[in-house]
Amino acid sequence: MELEEFNIIVSGVGGQGILFATNVLAKAALKMGLDLTQSEVHGLSQRYGSIHTELRIGKKVWSPLILEGTLDLLIAIEPLEALRMAPYISERTTVIMNTHIIPPVGAYLERFDVPDLDEILSLMSELNPKKVITLKASELAEKAGDVIATNSVMLGAADGSGALPFPDGLLREALEEASPPRYRDLNLRAFDLGREAVRV
Amino acid sequence: MGDLLAPEGSVEVLLGNEAIARGALEGGLNVAAAYPGTPSTEIGEALSKVAKKVGIYFEWSANEKVATEVTMAAAWSGLRSLTMMKHVGFNVASDAIFTLAYAGVIGGMVIVSADDPHAHSSQNEQDNRHYAESVGLPMLEPYGPQEAKEFTRIAFDLSEKYRIPFMIRTTTRVSHQRAPVRLGKITASGKKGEFVLPEPDRYLQVGAIARKHHKELLEKLDRIREEVAAKDPFLKFYGDEDSDFGIITSGVSFAHTMEALKLTGIKAKVLKLGMTFPLPEERIGDFLSGLSTVLIVEELDPYLEVRVKAIAKDYAPDVDVLGKLTGHMPRVWEYRVRTVLEGLSKALGIKYPVNFPEIDRRSSKVLKRVPPRPPVLCPACPHRSTGYALRRAAGRAYFVGDIGCYALLFQKPFRVEHVTHAMGASIGVANGLNIATENDVVALIGDSTFFHAGIPALINAVHNKRKMTVIIMDNRTTAMTGHQPHPGTEVDAMGQQAEAVDIEKVVRSIGVDFVKVVDPYDHKATEKAIREALKHDGVSVVITKRECALLTVARLRREGKKIVPYRVDPEKCTYCRVCLNTFACPAFVDTGKLVEIDPTVCFGCGACVQVCPYDAIVPQEGSLNWRDERIGV
Repeated sequence: MELEEFNIIVSGVGGQGILFATNVLAKAALKMGLDLTQSEVHGLSQRYGSIHTELRIGKKVWSPLILEGTLDLLIAIEPLEALRMAPYISERTTVIMNTHIIPPVGAYLERFDVPDLDEILSLMSELNPKKVITLKASELAEKAGDVIATNSVMLGAADGSGALPFPDGLLREALEEASPPRYRDLNLRAFDLGREAVRV
Repeated sequence: MGDLLAPEGSVEVLLGNEAIARGALEGGLNVAAAYPGTPSTEIGEALSKVAKKVGIYFEWSANEKVATEVTMAAAWSGLRSLTMMKHVGFNVASDAIFTLAYAGVIGGMVIVSADDPHAHSSQNEQDNRHYAESVGLPMLEPYGPQEAKEFTRIAFDLSEKYRIPFMIRTTTRVSHQRAPVRLGKITASGKKGEFVLPEPDRYLQVGAIARKHHKELLEKLDRIREEVAAKDPFLKFYGDEDSDFGIITSGVSFAHTMEALKLTGIKAKVLKLGMTFPLPEERIGDFLSGLSTVLIVEELDPYLEVRVKAIAKDYAPDVDVLGKLTGHMPRVWEYRVRTVLEGLSKALGIKYPVNFPEIDRRSSKVLKRVPPRPPVLCPACPHRSTGYALRRAAGRAYFVGDIGCYALLFQKPFRVEHVTHAMGASIGVANGLNIATENDVVALIGDSTFFHAGIPALINAVHNKRKMTVIIMDNRTTAMTGHQPHPGTEVDAMGQQAEAVDIEKVVRSIGVDFVKVVDPYDHKATEKAIREALKHDGVSVVITKRECALLTVARLRREGKKIVPYRVDPEKCTYCRVCLNTFACPAFVDTGKLVEIDPTVCFGCGACVQVCPYDAIVPQEGSLNWRDERIGV
């Protein structure tokens, strides 16, 4: 497939399954025979801090890091972590955002006034993204059976949004293959709920 | 995600570190050993998962020096061996490594140094390329996973041919980069070797013999410079060969450079170095002689830059060498594509492919409203309870921390770390603070770090009759790097039953006469133990023993138990905020009227119940209480 480049960030709070979600996207890209590079975070920095992974897919991609302003798709499992990706967001970015805010406990200790969802959305619009899609992914994951499947809900939403350069069914197939047997059904249920939630 | 044992010819998406592991398997690996450390850990993680199946030996050693000694002995026995460490781990191993360069090897040996520009997960940004030159070890620098695999495989052959260990140097963005990798044939095996002395004095590094071996080492390096460094795949040209503007680069900086050239369409001639010690001086000299200007793109120190400058003096004295020393490139922190674009802009005055000033203006406005979210201790982390008890029982002490998740106890509201320095340094520094001051001194050290480098300092304290308290936070694993076993655990790196070295027995055998073992979730008991320890006239040790919460949660899930969060009873919560101000679990949410528990974050451990003065934190139907039900101890 002729795709010059497509840049994806998955962001959220350490522990939300960001790496797994990115791996599924990479798996789908590989199935299409695309080149890809993915940068991820391991070690201390993943302990409930802000985390994001960067995935670049295309005909030939060199750098594992995305240039500011050239993000195509942001999958934010937590809304504050969507805003934190501000330098990457531009007119070419589709933003898919879970609405469940997790205020950092440090914000309270530092007396930081945490923005609510309305303010987050208004700040986001100042970055001029192409499109912002919000969904209650944590609730949908709970509905699917367990909140740990929030990442799969977000993948479903990304798939349903039409922003991804993947053919129908490919991402779901990648998720099915990447899921440990114990979580396979849960993840697919969550994926379908996410996909359903954003489809117009 | 990728299958490390996928057959020859297949393409798998591998992490740079997994690619190194695969490269070792393709390079005929027999024995590997390491101590975990970000960003090197996943090499060992990968080997640990497949070791039994492939038949090789792999261990998580007590520290990097032991791992080096284990693997160099294997190489002396004619086997192929691998050890890997983070950049600061190399400091620990360096005592063995310096002399190993003199001794040489029989079987191929590869030493991986994974550096961490930006100190993402480290205490410094040291640049280990200097080690290669200083020790005298040939060094290869791959730029991505495919090269990481190839270089590792080839390094084994070269090491064996020249009878010297080869060093692979990566950085975080190489080690933690995932990309498709085309696989070759696995040739690793569990064969045994024989310890045969090639000459009677080969491994006796004393005076006259060492002097002879030093000379021999330099001769080996000269041969490698001529026969290896100047050739494919370690030296490659890219870009526009007619341009008089050149770029010399290596490692992940090469990838950023290519991206920047693609985005701007700048015509530049690029020399990518794969072997950065010894440098192919003549080839670099030839490259320079066709240029008017050359930009050196490398992270951290101006390692290549000063060497290229020296080469330019002989080969192309008129060429302008631009880099860090000329202010074109930054000397600190990791590079990105933007860093290279900015360097190119300073050198050539190019137009940026994106509007950086506009991006900066827009995003800085938004980012002002985004609260920082640094890493914090996980929900249910036993260290939080230990920090809570320490703050209450020893608030005025000097607190000396160590390397591990508990380093996060420097944060509010605990603030029970005044120092975080180097592996095992907590107890050593506590020795010194007790000598130098009259204050109470508390050292905080984890179980894995205690085994790694804490024990000698504790012996030192006992022998010298120090008065100090050591808190050993035993969470039954090497948690920060992703839960590797250590000498105190019941299993080894290959999943086999191991002899668990008992920390309490070790401490008692050293001669510490005050030793208390507590469950940190029992806040009262922990506080009491710390108070008593501080009163003790001598070295006192409190072992706060409870398994890392992430392991507990994983086990509960495996057993099919549902994690049911706790909740705050709004009738009882007075919004006194004691929980936030003293315990600060990331599951607590301040609503402005009362405190709530975020059910998507809470692990349902129940430790916080003890913290609320109004008993407002309550279980829900099905909630467990890890302390009372002895879960995780």
